[in-house]
Amino acid sequence: MQLRHISASSNVGEAPVDIFQAERRTYSAHCVFEGILWLFLLPVVSTMAYQLYRNTTLGNSLQESLDELIQTQQITPQLALQVLLQFDKAINMALANRVRNRVNFRGSLNTYRFCDNVWTFVLNDVEFREVTDLVKVDKVKIVACDGKSESTQNKNDK
Amino acid sequence: MLTNTAPVAKLYLSIIDDVIESMRELFTDEGLEDRVLDDLRQIWESKMMQSKAMEDYRKSNINSSNFVLQLPANYNRTNQELTASVVIPNNSGILPTFSLPAGLSYPVQIPAGVTLQTASGQLYKVNVPVVVTQAPAGQPPVSRLAQVIERRESPDPPSTAAPPDASRPPQEAEALSAPAISDKQQQQQQQQQQQPPPPHPKTNFPPGEESALPQQPLVPPAEASQPPGAHFPQPEAPPGESEPNPPPEPATLCASASPCSQLLDFQISTEEALTQTGQLRTNDLDDILKEVIEEERGKAVMARKTVNQSDADLGVIKKLISLLLEVCVCVCTLISLVLQHVLITLVLTTHLYPQDPLNSGDDVVEQDIPDLFDTDNVIVCQYDKIHRSKNRWKFHLKDGVICYGGRDYVFSKAVGEAEW
Repeated sequence: MQLRHISASSNVGEAPVDIFQAERRTYSAHCVFEGILWLFLLPVVSTMAYQLYRNTTLGNSLQESLDELIQTQQITPQLALQVLLQFDKAINMALANRVRNRVNFRGSLNTYRFCDNVWTFVLNDVEFREVTDLVKVDKVKIVACDGKSESTQNKNDK
Repeated sequence: MLTNTAPVAKLYLSIIDDVIESMRELFTDEGLEDRVLDDLRQIWESKMMQSKAMEDYRKSNINSSNFVLQLPANYNRTNQELTASVVIPNNSGILPTFSLPAGLSYPVQIPAGVTLQTASGQLYKVNVPVVVTQAPAGQPPVSRLAQVIERRESPDPPSTAAPPDASRPPQEAEALSAPAISDKQQQQQQQQQQQPPPPHPKTNFPPGEESALPQQPLVPPAEASQPPGAHFPQPEAPPGESEPNPPPEPATLCASASPCSQLLDFQISTEEALTQTGQLRTNDLDDILKEVIEEERGKAVMARKTVNQSDADLGVIKKLISLLLEVCVCVCTLISLVLQHVLITLVLTTHLYPQDPLNSGDDVVEQDIPDLFDTDNVIVCQYDKIHRSKNRWKFHLKDGVICYGGRDYVFSKAVGEAEW
C-alpha cells in the first residue's frame, strides 16, 4: 500500500491511485468462477469410485449381463455405464464397511511396477494365512490403487 | 475366508441388491419397465450362481428350499388321481427340496402344467402329473430305486453240485484206451511173429545207411564160419534155421571196418563157404561172388567219399567261424578307435572354444514379459503403504478381493512380505 501510494502519486497532497485494481478484480472473478465450477463438479467427483473391482467375478458377470441387454437393445450403452458406476460405488462401500477380516501372506517378489499411482506386483510361491487357514499359490498378481488418496479419482484396472 | 466362500456369496448378493435398487429410479426415468431391471438381475444372479465363486453358497443352502410350487388356482388335492413318481433332474448335483404353500402337506400330487421356480429364478415346467413324497431324512430317493433294481436283477445262486458227466469221459477214455493199447500190442506181436524170414543180404545194406551200422557189434573173422542164420539181427528168425541155398555171409559188416578188410573178410568167408559146402554150383557162385565184390567195392568208394566230404565240410565250417571271429574283432577295434577319436575332439573343442559368457542365462527375454503378468490368480485392492528395504518388500493392503482358482475371497486388511 505504501509502495503503491508513492509510485502512483504524481502530485504532493493528492489521494493515492490503486493501479492494481484491475488485477484484483480479475483475480476475484477467477476465484468466483472456480468456486462455482467446483460446486457443480463436486457432486460428480465425490460419487466416483475405483473401477478396479470390475475385474472380479461379480464385476465381470455384471458386464456380461449388460452386454447381453445392449445386444437385445433393451438398454442403451450409456445406461449400462451408469450401472457400472453404481456398481463401483456399491462394492467400494461394501468392502469398506461390511468386511472385517485380516490376511497375512509371504512369498518371493518376481516383478514390481509403479505407474499412475498404481502398484502391480507379481509374486511366486505365496502363502496366504488367515488365523489357521493356509493356502499356497504358485503365482499371483496384485493390482493396488492408492488407498489414502483424499480425492477419489477414476482408476482403471489394467 | 480361504476355505469358505459363503460369506463372500452373501456379500455379493447384497451388492447386487444395492445396485439393482439404486438403478430402479434411473430406469424409470429412462422410460424402461421394471421387467428390464428384473431381467438384468436374473441374468446377473444366474451367472454368479454358475461360477465357482458361489459354489459354497449353493452347498451351504442345500437344506433350504430351492423350489417354490406355483400351483394353479383351481388346484384341489382331493380331486387329483395318483400318478407315477418322478425325480426332478438335478443338473447342479444338489438334491432339490420343496417348500409347500400353506395348508398343504406331503404327499403332493401335481398335475401337468404346474411350474416350479427355484430360488435362483430357474423355471421348471411339469409336463406329466407327478407325486411329491417326503423321503426319510438323509436317504435320497435314487438309492431306493437302485436297491430295487439290484434285487430284481440279482442272479440265481450258482449250483454247487458238480456235473457228474465231467468226470466220466476221462475215465471212459482211459478205460477205452487201455484195451485199445493191449489190442495194438497183440497185433504188433502177431505181426512180428508173422514177419517173413530175413531177406537177401543185398537188401539189408542200403547205400545210405551204412553209417548207422556202428550200433551193431563187430564180429571177428573167426566167427564168420558159423551158420549164416545166426548173425541176422532179427530175433524172430530161429538161429538154427538154414536154407539149402543160404545167401553168402557176411551179415556182420561194420562201417567202422575199412573197406579193404571187409573185402578180405568177405573173400575169406566165401572161400571157406565154397570148400565146406561143395562144388555143385561153382559157376553160379562165382558169378554171384563177382557181383557181390563189385558192389562192395562201389560201396567202399562211396563211403570214402562221404567221409572225406564230411571231413571237408567240418574244416570249411571251422574256417568260416574263425574268419567271422577275426572280422568281429577287427570291427570292435575300429569302433573303439572311432569313439576315442570323437571323445578327444570333444574335449579339445570344449577347452579351446569358450562356452557362453557367464550369467548369460540371467538375461530376461522380452518375449516373457507379456506372459509374466498373465495369470488367473489376481488380487485387486488398495494399498495403505508399500515399503522397501534393499530387496525386502513389505505390503500393507486393504479392501481387497482375491480371485484364486475361480473362487473369490475378500479381506479388509492384508499384510505381506516378499523378497525380490
